[in-house]
Amino acid sequence: MAKGGPQKWATLLVTAAVTAEAVGFVAWARSRFKRYEIDGQSMAPALRPGDFVIVDRQAFALRAPRPGDVVLAHDPRDPARMLVKRIASVNADGGLWLAGDNPDDSTDSREFGPVPAGAIVGQVRWRYWPLSRPFGVG
Amino acid sequence: MNLLSRILRPTAIAHAHCDGPCGVYDPASARIAAEAVLSMEKKLAALQGNDLASDNTRGRFIAIKEQQAELAKKELDILWHDYFKPEHLDRFPDLHDTFWKAAKLCSKNKTESDPANGEALLQAIEKIHGMFWATKNRTDAPFYRAS
Repeated sequence: MAKGGPQKWATLLVTAAVTAEAVGFVAWARSRFKRYEIDGQSMAPALRPGDFVIVDRQAFALRAPRPGDVVLAHDPRDPARMLVKRIASVNADGGLWLAGDNPDDSTDSREFGPVPAGAIVGQVRWRYWPLSRPFGVG
Repeated sequence: MNLLSRILRPTAIAHAHCDGPCGVYDPASARIAAEAVLSMEKKLAALQGNDLASDNTRGRFIAIKEQQAELAKKELDILWHDYFKPEHLDRFPDLHDTFWKAAKLCSKNKTESDPANGEALLQAIEKIHGMFWATKNRTDAPFYRAS
């Protein structure tokens, strides 16, 4: 092995460690966060059709959902369909009452009743597109 | 910007919807049907003659009145069942009674032919029109009368 070998190995090791860290971080971020496009008017003006948002799928691992949270949930009538609504209230038995911000333009718990906590996928944390409006979802 | 939005665009959709034809409800369709009913009642009242041609015309007027009164009832039902929601009852405690009476008036317009019934139906629909637009905080939707 040539002179300066250990230094070369050290560089390689650090590079490998940093790469592994970066790959790990990306994998973690991808499992925790997922992007969605908003369709429909029921959450206007907070969320408008065509907005891109980031859903935090771990948000409710740390704390219980509470009124005011904007959440992504499976539609109780068609679980393959994802709904975005705001939690209006939490029942004593843990059922969540979901409502659109725009009640005259929303199908929500008034129609399908409270949803179980298990139907909630995560919290809509940020709106990242378009850039012209605030990132928070209120 | 367009390219950027294409790159950033998520593949999954989160629905913030109202089911069905949300936002296209309008009491105008009930009003138009009721106008046709009233119009036929007036034509029936004015129709003279007992010859075959008059009988035919009378039959047609009755058929249209029957059909349009049924349509008005259906349009009112759509507003009542699909548009109005429980929280609207807080604001309009007489909502159910108003719709019930309006639907009964539709039936009355079918079984009878007095133009007073058509007039009463239009007044009931005007009341519903007022409630409907009030829920949308709109004061600029006029109630048109053809007759």
